[in-house]
Amino acid sequence: MNKSYKSILAGLFALALFTLPGLAVAADSWGLPGEEEVRFDAKVTDVLCVLSGDCPPDCGAGKRVLGLLKADGELVLPVKNGGPFTGAVADLLPYCGTTVTADGLFTVNYGVKTFAMQFVKPQEAKWRRANQFVKDWAAAHGLEAKDKKARSWFRNDETIVEIIGEQGKLGLKDKGIEP
Amino acid sequence: MLRVRNYLLAAAAVSLAVFLTAPGPAQAAQPKRVTVTGEIIDSWCYLSEIMWATGSAHHQCAVWCARGGVPVGILGDDEQVYIVLKMNNDPDVIGDHGILRMQSNEVVVEGDLYERDSVKYLAIDTIIDDHGIVNHSHDEFDIQPFGD
Repeated sequence: MNKSYKSILAGLFALALFTLPGLAVAADSWGLPGEEEVRFDAKVTDVLCVLSGDCPPDCGAGKRVLGLLKADGELVLPVKNGGPFTGAVADLLPYCGTTVTADGLFTVNYGVKTFAMQFVKPQEAKWRRANQFVKDWAAAHGLEAKDKKARSWFRNDETIVEIIGEQGKLGLKDKGIEP
Repeated sequence: MLRVRNYLLAAAAVSLAVFLTAPGPAQAAQPKRVTVTGEIIDSWCYLSEIMWATGSAHHQCAVWCARGGVPVGILGDDEQVYIVLKMNNDPDVIGDHGILRMQSNEVVVEGDLYERDSVKYLAIDTIIDDHGIVNHSHDEFDIQPFGD
């Protein structure tokens, strides 16, 4: 192999090293209505605070609906993260009041635009997969997030088991209707 | 004496600056009072159309998603989706809260409506009526998802 080939290969290798971390966090298409793959900077905020001026200091400690307020004034509503049956509040709450870079999918349906966040990057920090709810649930149950029980958290969560036990899977147990 | 007056003037200027820049009701949008009749839904499954997402067929999944932190919505009789920011004046509507036990119910509620960037947000102060689950969609769609 001559010197110029070696230089080209070294250059390609360096380029790959430089660009791979970016590629690794690109949003996956989920085939949603009006889907658009997006990456944007926005401030993590409590939606009720933005709209009504009712602003607790900690964005509501994870119990309120959170939003992403862009510099152009657009208030983005994240309704989903990358986990099974989970939203993005746990991913965003640690960054209340700060600017993050969010990566994922806009979807527009019935005239409503919402956001499914797949990755988040806090300032001066690395990209993270948006799946904090399952991590938190697993930790609270002494499990690893990859544990089978944690991956099926929705079948094993005590509150859900209690509610479905009372109401039935169809919610009609009190009317004597069950699957 | 002059120094005291300068301090007071500086304090007044700082107070004015804080008042003008702090987020608060003075900068908030004016809501509209509304009464909405509709079904309490899982906003994600309904808006993404990844499965049949209303009524008894989707009740279990709606509980899963509400518990998992997906914002709860109301699908109004007017076919509009309202994202719930408060229920019964309680802003704790994510995760483990009262509305978790009302999934799929048809309700009549009153509250403040805010509209921002295509989303209708509802801060509900009064639950006028709760009819329970009236949409027996499982007759047609079984249990969504997975069938169990």
